[in-house]
Amino acid sequence: MPTDTATTHTQRLAFSGKGAEYFRIWIVNIALSILTVGIYSAWAKVRRLKYFYLNTTLADSSFDFHGDPLAILKGRIIAVLLLLAYQLSSAASPRLAMAAMALLALIFPWLIVRSLRFRLYYSSHRGLRFSFRGNNRQGYVNFLLYPLLALVTAYLLAPLAHQRIKRFQHTNSWYGNTRFDFSAGSGRFFTLYLKLLGLIVLVIALAAGGTAVLFPFELANPADQGDAANARLAAYLLATLAGGYLMLFLLLAPWFSARVQNLVWNHTTLGPHRFVSDVQARRLLWIYLGNFLGILLTLGLYKPFADIRLARYRLAHIGLVPAGDLDEFMADRQQATSATGEEAADMFDFDISF
Amino acid sequence: MNPIPATYFDGVSARPQPVRLSLHGDRLIVDGEQVARDEPLAGLEISEPLGAAPRVVRFADGAHCEVREHAAFEQLLRAAGIEDGLVVRLQARWLWALAAVVLTVAVAFAGYYRGLPAAADWIAGRLPERLLAGMGESTLGILDEHVFEPSALPDARRAQLTRTFDRLTPPADDTPAHRIVFRDGGPIGANAFALPDGTIVVTDQLVASAEQDEEILGVLAHELGHLERRHSLRMFIQGSIVGFMVGWYLGDVSSVAAGLPTALLQARYSRGFEREADDYATQMLQLNDIPPAALAHILARMQAEMDSAHGPGGDPFRGYLNSHPATGERINRLLNAR
Repeated sequence: MPTDTATTHTQRLAFSGKGAEYFRIWIVNIALSILTVGIYSAWAKVRRLKYFYLNTTLADSSFDFHGDPLAILKGRIIAVLLLLAYQLSSAASPRLAMAAMALLALIFPWLIVRSLRFRLYYSSHRGLRFSFRGNNRQGYVNFLLYPLLALVTAYLLAPLAHQRIKRFQHTNSWYGNTRFDFSAGSGRFFTLYLKLLGLIVLVIALAAGGTAVLFPFELANPADQGDAANARLAAYLLATLAGGYLMLFLLLAPWFSARVQNLVWNHTTLGPHRFVSDVQARRLLWIYLGNFLGILLTLGLYKPFADIRLARYRLAHIGLVPAGDLDEFMADRQQATSATGEEAADMFDFDISF
Repeated sequence: MNPIPATYFDGVSARPQPVRLSLHGDRLIVDGEQVARDEPLAGLEISEPLGAAPRVVRFADGAHCEVREHAAFEQLLRAAGIEDGLVVRLQARWLWALAAVVLTVAVAFAGYYRGLPAAADWIAGRLPERLLAGMGESTLGILDEHVFEPSALPDARRAQLTRTFDRLTPPADDTPAHRIVFRDGGPIGANAFALPDGTIVVTDQLVASAEQDEEILGVLAHELGHLERRHSLRMFIQGSIVGFMVGWYLGDVSSVAAGLPTALLQARYSRGFEREADDYATQMLQLNDIPPAALAHILARMQAEMDSAHGPGGDPFRGYLNSHPATGERINRLLNAR
């Protein structure tokens, strides 16, 4: 924990977006996207990102997003084509679907690296650009090799894969000519996943127990025979599964997400400065629950309010602990010239949420 | 007009420099301790108003100003004759937001009731034969492996049913290409369905539960109706589109909720499809002097079997999302067919 004097110096991120304001931007964006058969959606995305970036303040200055809608449109067209190809091939035959899946896996790391470059290069703070400088080879190692390793070890190595991906992202990110660094070892990720596993077991036990309490007669009826008993057992398992699934998503997703954000940002540094993150799982859980109900009850109209609520909480709980003067960051002169021409043309945004 | 306080960044260093902005004709004057710029407003990029977020004035050389005095800055822009863009004006008013809600809801409804079926129909008519054959083969392959057993019906009986059905006159000239295959239904019991490539699967249990062959012919005509209208293919295409839209809309809020609306939205389509297939079967049966009631009878018997298997009131899970729903309603339609 930071000491008192350090906390007074910690620069918190602040978010000034408002639900009602963003709602109007969001709904007008949707309507215009509809009227233009989806083409406007790229411009809509730029407006949305600009709203979130410019409303986020660190040390009295806002972030900004400069992305080119055409590059986003390019990425969207590629994504739709890939999805369509996959849908069609999976319909035709399982073998073709496997081939399509393998092909997708092969180009995915390349797409992600491009997308990371795009997103960071077009983000700025105080007039200095961010950049992502990870290369394709590292992209394949971290986004393909490690996930494959996790897969063949029945997810035993999933924490390692997760750590490698975060490390790859954070150690290859730059702000101006200052590099980010990442110090969380895989051990911390293994500990986190072990706790997650314990909670999953607990939730499933609770779901099974809860179902048994709610429908006690279903299992204990001695008159049940053959098919009827099987049907009841199936119903019981289904209820357990549905309850467990819902609880996993509503309870564990916010918990895990809070812990990951804290773990990742508490071990991220920018030059001599370090970040702090103190998101509380319990608060995040209430926000998730409220957003889920709000969206459900308003048939989706609450979505922009939900996005704002979540962003405000998450951002307010990340801060930068300066080890020196924040005014001393400098732009990277070389990058400013090299990343324009060919390299920028090579970048496009691909919607992948991390 | 008083100069407006702003923060200037030169694009090279992260150091903020307090400056004052003022208008001089059609030029913007930036004045600070170490900054003195005088630029034509037309050459600057000025960000749109986004609530409490600062307005950003960007210079061609990468420098920029952040302005947080919104009212004064808007006054300056107005004085310089710079107006907000169309989208900004749309976003600023609740009236337009409301109009956007109405438009979105209207398009969503129209798209769901008209556009989606039309799109699925259009796509279904353009998919290559090879793809359809693949879809049919792979589905039957999976069912054969996990659900079905080979049919125990004698060859002669199978050939006789197929021949009788093929001799019937179809209601339209372009009868879809089809082939009838028989299987022991195993856990799915008495059932029949059509695959996209024209394969009609009939289970031994269905054949056994029919009291007359006319009932089986009725079921086959119903399945041929599904094929004629490309129902399974359209279902698949619509399901893909609906799933994609719902998933995209809900985003990562909660993928758990995505499956439910998709299933509910699909249920309505399948009810419509059953009715269409029943109408086709009615036409075909009447054309061949078979009373459509034959189909009604076997439907009623299958429903009764299902009720007795799951107790009175039926299986609670089937009530909501049944793909062959409202059997009673369908039976009435068939019995009243003229």
